[in-house]
Amino acid sequence: MNPLELTLGIMTAVGGFVDISELVFAAKAGSQFGYALIWVFAFSTIGIIVFSEMSGRVALAAQQPVFNLMRHRLGLKLGLVTLAASIIANLITCAAELGGVALILNYLTGAAYVAMAITMTVVFIASIWVLPFKWIERIYGLLGLFMIVFAVSLVAIHPPWDKIAGGLIPQVPPGLSTKELLTFAYFTVAIVSAVMFPYEVYFYSSGGIEEGWSAKDLLTNRITAIVGMGLGSLLAIAILANSAQLFGHAGVDPEIPGSAALEAAIPFGKWGLVIALFGMFFAVAGAAVETCLANAYSIAQFFGWIWGRHKKPWEAPRFTITWIVLFVAALAIVLTGVDVMMLVEFAILFSILVLPFTYLPLLLLAGDKQYMGQYANGPVAKTLGWLYFAVITLAALAALPLFLLTSGGNG
Amino acid sequence: MTPNSPIKLVSELLDLPLLDVDGKYCGIVDDVELQGGAGKDLELKALQVGPGAYRGRVPSWLMSLVKAFAGERIVNVPMNKVRNIGAVVHLDCPAAELGLDRSEAAAGKWLPRRGAL
Repeated sequence: MNPLELTLGIMTAVGGFVDISELVFAAKAGSQFGYALIWVFAFSTIGIIVFSEMSGRVALAAQQPVFNLMRHRLGLKLGLVTLAASIIANLITCAAELGGVALILNYLTGAAYVAMAITMTVVFIASIWVLPFKWIERIYGLLGLFMIVFAVSLVAIHPPWDKIAGGLIPQVPPGLSTKELLTFAYFTVAIVSAVMFPYEVYFYSSGGIEEGWSAKDLLTNRITAIVGMGLGSLLAIAILANSAQLFGHAGVDPEIPGSAALEAAIPFGKWGLVIALFGMFFAVAGAAVETCLANAYSIAQFFGWIWGRHKKPWEAPRFTITWIVLFVAALAIVLTGVDVMMLVEFAILFSILVLPFTYLPLLLLAGDKQYMGQYANGPVAKTLGWLYFAVITLAALAALPLFLLTSGGNG
Repeated sequence: MTPNSPIKLVSELLDLPLLDVDGKYCGIVDDVELQGGAGKDLELKALQVGPGAYRGRVPSWLMSLVKAFAGERIVNVPMNKVRNIGAVVHLDCPAAELGLDRSEAAAGKWLPRRGAL
């Protein structure tokens, strides 16, 4: 297996795990609750591996991506509701990523935030137009690996590894007030949502079709899902642990993405900061591309249009016009002047409300022997799938009340 | 399943994607047209593709929105143009022959045909 075949998983995971919302939530989680939320990342990572592998398997067995078959399973009415909700969630997420990229460029160059948002929209549109799918995933996925600097920083600051390992055990920190308990619960739900963002499976399964996966790629799919998502999870946990070690004791609340970059600056100075910002730029840019394409994939697949960036843009015209319009719409949201962090909070909230509608049809499809034949879910995938479906349904029910009670985790 | 197989559940056919003979997506089975009558066998006459076929499947307020944004066009795909039915419906002819490529062609006029690797 060519290691470059892993780039789909790496882009999906780097864009999904260490996007703007994760940068903020992982850093804030570490500073407020120490290592106590690491287990939520680990638990959710297994969930996203299970569902990504399942969506890739559906793509390679039925040769159809998730949304093509979702409408058939959900029916037109419920399918339209799911589509509308996922479009809103992905569009808000895309706007948050675009705003995040503009913020990072603002830190790096000092250029005006609005000018950077407009410039990056043009760059994104031009790069997707010009580059074939494989190069899109290689550039954004592999350059996002500069984020490994956060893992290296963690090693460099000699953290208490026993406490980090202890964070893997499900727990609620003792002695929390009711208000703090609610905030802890909100962070738990938000991390589940941020790790299992629906756009990741839309992008991953469509990406498998873009790459021409067939039944012989079953192992590639499994390894890509495990390695890609595992790597993304490690980076997110490294950001959390750095934050717990560096910011928690100092009483720093890392509310903006720039705070997370300081985690690399403390052990490695200016170059650590530059590498961290560079990695953040490509990871968040990858997430912007991923969310926009995931949205365009969903719309095109729902209505049966020609889709995919393995074709020239003019060979899939409605799909192409859709992703261009979505980028412009995301830019319009950013230009209203809405705070990026508020967009992040809304993206998390909308995404978790959509999660059960995304994963239920996928579970049903992947377990259906008529579609999947010998590739249908086995006992392990079936058990884990339904377990995680129950968890995300509970999280979806709890998300809105917790969001309102904690003012989006701000106490 | 072939076009001549007994179709036990029309719902199994609804909302499946259509692929033309060249492997291009060309719509979704939005509704089906049946023929027959009292005391006679009910047979599938055609697949219906296009936003107009949403009528009867979505609430009227939603249909008004669909009509405003996407129109009410319906294309009938005769069953003799269907090769087989599985996870998708495979057609026996190019999309253009049935008029299923019109929206893509119209959108294509807005895009330049250069610059992509």
